[in-house]
Amino acid sequence: MKEMFKAFVLIATAAFVLVASSCEKETDYLYEVNPVTVQQNGNGKNNAKTTVEFITIAWADLFGSQIPQQDLVKLNTVYISFGDKKLIEDRIILNLLNRPGVQIPSVTNVNGDTLKFIENTYKKLYNRSPDAFEQYYLKEQIRVNTAMTAVVIWYALMSSDEYRYY
Amino acid sequence: MMNRRSFIRKTGIAAAGAFAAPYLLPGGRLFASSGLRKVNHVVFLLFAGGVRNLESVQFNDGNLMTNMLNGGGSISPDILPAIDFLPPGPLSQPLQNYGTLFRQFRYEQGPTGHYNGHTVAVTGQYVSTDLNIREAPRNPTIFEYYRKHNSPQQTALNSWWVANTLGPYPALNYSSDPSYGPAYGANFISPNFLISQDGFDMLGNPSVLTSAELNAVRNIRKYANGVFNKSYTDSGQGMMNSEAEAQQLQQFISDLYAKAQSGQYLNPWGVGTSMNNDMYNVMFAEEIIQRFKPELLVVNMQDVDIGHFNFSQYANNLRKADWAAAHLWSIIQSTPGMANDTVLVIAPEHGRNFNPNTSIDPYGRLALDHTAPVDGVSGDQMAREIFCLIVGPPAVVKQGLVVNSVEGESTEIVPVIANMLGFDANIPGGSGLKNYNQCDLAQAFY
Repeated sequence: MKEMFKAFVLIATAAFVLVASSCEKETDYLYEVNPVTVQQNGNGKNNAKTTVEFITIAWADLFGSQIPQQDLVKLNTVYISFGDKKLIEDRIILNLLNRPGVQIPSVTNVNGDTLKFIENTYKKLYNRSPDAFEQYYLKEQIRVNTAMTAVVIWYALMSSDEYRYY
Repeated sequence: MMNRRSFIRKTGIAAAGAFAAPYLLPGGRLFASSGLRKVNHVVFLLFAGGVRNLESVQFNDGNLMTNMLNGGGSISPDILPAIDFLPPGPLSQPLQNYGTLFRQFRYEQGPTGHYNGHTVAVTGQYVSTDLNIREAPRNPTIFEYYRKHNSPQQTALNSWWVANTLGPYPALNYSSDPSYGPAYGANFISPNFLISQDGFDMLGNPSVLTSAELNAVRNIRKYANGVFNKSYTDSGQGMMNSEAEAQQLQQFISDLYAKAQSGQYLNPWGVGTSMNNDMYNVMFAEEIIQRFKPELLVVNMQDVDIGHFNFSQYANNLRKADWAAAHLWSIIQSTPGMANDTVLVIAPEHGRNFNPNTSIDPYGRLALDHTAPVDGVSGDQMAREIFCLIVGPPAVVKQGLVVNSVEGESTEIVPVIANMLGFDANIPGGSGLKNYNQCDLAQAFY
């Protein structure tokens, strides 16, 4: 009899807990984050390059020399001959990358000391060092993607938004 | 800050909205146009450089525009040696027979400068002072009205400004009006400079990337842009196409270079060495027409401006402009999708003076400037006297009509284009544009 009473108490308790919990009003949890100031590399660049600045800097980055006056005039002319500047800049970069004398790192540089390649590329094109995550991201991209050549990386960075600013 | 329930509720509403997305109508449109269109394409040929009515519609030296105008007689014998050979035009009859000619159109107000005239033509509003040629127009352009108020909104592939020179003209594809601007701008091209030897040297031999490489570029660029806090458009570089449309344009430019390299532009119209910059500019506009079938295209010519120094060459280039206009119409009418669905508007930006300057050409003719009075005292009123020819489908444009009285003015072209494309009623009041119903040019249409 005593055992039966114990069993009854246990079942009643369990039933009460089940009923009570199933009827419990859902708690409105608030998911918040504390304010965090995020510092991003390159975000101190506030000045957009002018047409001439963009052309001369791109030339210097790719050829390691000052652009000849004749080429500057030609590039400036084609630049203003089309309304979509982004499109023309892309085309200018792709043409410069295909010119004889362009100085971009070899495959060995990319796949050898990859971190050094990334560091040098950021310094050359963005005028700053990459942060840790940028290094990690690019290194991983180079590791997993065989299409990630120096031309691809340079073209991508030179046609990015940050390259338009100084 | 958002709790889970309201987040889910809002997400659900957004999802429901997505499921209620509009469907594509035949022809690729998302929604039917709200206004009643008369045609689906308008081409505005700015017959610019300063054309005097005396040499155009008044035949003072015979008919120099036989491809556009009826009658007029032979060219004056004294300037005939200056006139280059041109083969018979591409049309079976002069262009005026396909539409309505306003012989006494007017550029009523403001300085008669080329940039002023172009600005008035594309904004539909007079400017009272000489413009700063380094600035975009202050009033919205027809391109912006079109891209903002046409329903459905169209991309810049449907809106083109094709200029035969650089200088200030690249600035005319959008205005500095804060309610409009580059987001609604047209694609601008100056093909005589872009598709040139210099252009080819700089743009004609790009690195060719595989699709895998292009994907890699996109990935890196997307990542790099994601960690940078400014966008390209923040840099104030003007209008931009979407990436997909930019690819179409890149291919178009590559194709133009390929044609140039293969010699297809050496004598494209069979006119030999008579081909001038105006003709080439119109020819490239035709390439755009054939590739993109734009709903709105504005193209100009300006070679007649040699009239400041050489009257006979002014007359010579007027003939070439006339030939080019006829060729343009022949291409429109032979382009599927634009044939019989296009209105072509042709008008100079301003005229030239009655009184000549002191430059004498080899044939003894005195040259002509264009200095209409802006202070009511000095200047030459004839520089305000121009013509306007509107051609189009017979069901839309009155054929063979000639308006001889002084009717119509430069500021009517923008509202007429807006009406043709069915969005004039969508332009907010207070824009300063003339109401279509008050435009004399409306007489040209049924």
